[in-house]
Amino acid sequence: MILTGSEIARQVGLGRIEIDPFHEDQVNPNSYDFRLGFELLVYQDLELDARLPNKVDTITIGESGFTMAPDRVYLGSTVERMGSDHYVPIIRGKSSLGRLGLFVNMTADLIDIGSHNNWTLQFHAVQPLVVYPGMRIGQVTFWVPEGEIELYDGKYQGATGPRSSESFRDFEAQA
Amino acid sequence: MILTRSAIAKAVEAGEITITPFDAGRLNPNSYNYSLGEEIRFTTQKTLDAKANAPWLTTGIPDEGYLLRPGRLYLATTAEVIGSTTFVTSLIGRSSMGRLGLFVQVTADLGHQGAIHRWTLELTVVQPLRVYAGMRLGQVSFWRTSGTVTAYGGAYGDAMAPMPALPTSLT
Repeated sequence: MILTGSEIARQVGLGRIEIDPFHEDQVNPNSYDFRLGFELLVYQDLELDARLPNKVDTITIGESGFTMAPDRVYLGSTVERMGSDHYVPIIRGKSSLGRLGLFVNMTADLIDIGSHNNWTLQFHAVQPLVVYPGMRIGQVTFWVPEGEIELYDGKYQGATGPRSSESFRDFEAQA
Repeated sequence: MILTRSAIAKAVEAGEITITPFDAGRLNPNSYNYSLGEEIRFTTQKTLDAKANAPWLTTGIPDEGYLLRPGRLYLATTAEVIGSTTFVTSLIGRSSMGRLGLFVQVTADLGHQGAIHRWTLELTVVQPLRVYAGMRLGQVSFWRTSGTVTAYGGAYGDAMAPMPALPTSLT
């Protein structure tokens, strides 16, 4: 079951959903609109390797905006720190941005229950697109789980800004 | 409702969810991490036709990995046989792979209830990306349904290799 907007607001009030800062006017019928932070990470090399650490540069998005190019991955983060120990969050872009060809996640829209962060957004623009800091960039929905809850304790926990992939750690663990 | 880690483990034990091979260490709080299989398929035909089969080539992934290139679609499979007649399976990537610009499915993350097979992955990348056979690529979640179940009897139901689109499924 998916929570309604009023239930999301109620659960935030009860401390069972964390959205900080929280603004009533960003509540939708079944989701909450989150905003784009001012930093983006971009990989230094064009060619990436899942087994290696891939170095990144940090870009600050100025008030005049930043143009995302179609051939690059950009990692941003939500302005809000968000998470829940009781519901499973799933993130989406806003349809207004989908209509401009922007993906806010590639492949992984599901957030672990118990993951509390400024969530990393995985951007891909189909056509060049100018984005601005603080703009509404996506929405989060919350879903009721079934079964005993065990909380996330993974490698991205507590992130305060965009975090690049640490997939190389999986290979270290296997070695 | 989406199953938690312990609910997935219980359902696997009860035979309500198939994940073969199963490793409890790959359970996340609300999903299970699957691995990339050993084969990749691609076509050199530039324009794909929804009504006609393209010639798909098959290659193994060597130890030094396989470089996926932007602007091309690759088909692969999960290493595991995954599915359920009791729950709906949703298949996506891991955030660690999304952060590298990898899509593991193009638009269709919803599996059919009753389809138990090696899931075909639709891989496409934003920047060139080297991937490895057996690496943890994505995650599957399982969802409780409401209503009478009609088991999947579709064309891809028992696939064990990467399956290109069947034009007949679109008529």
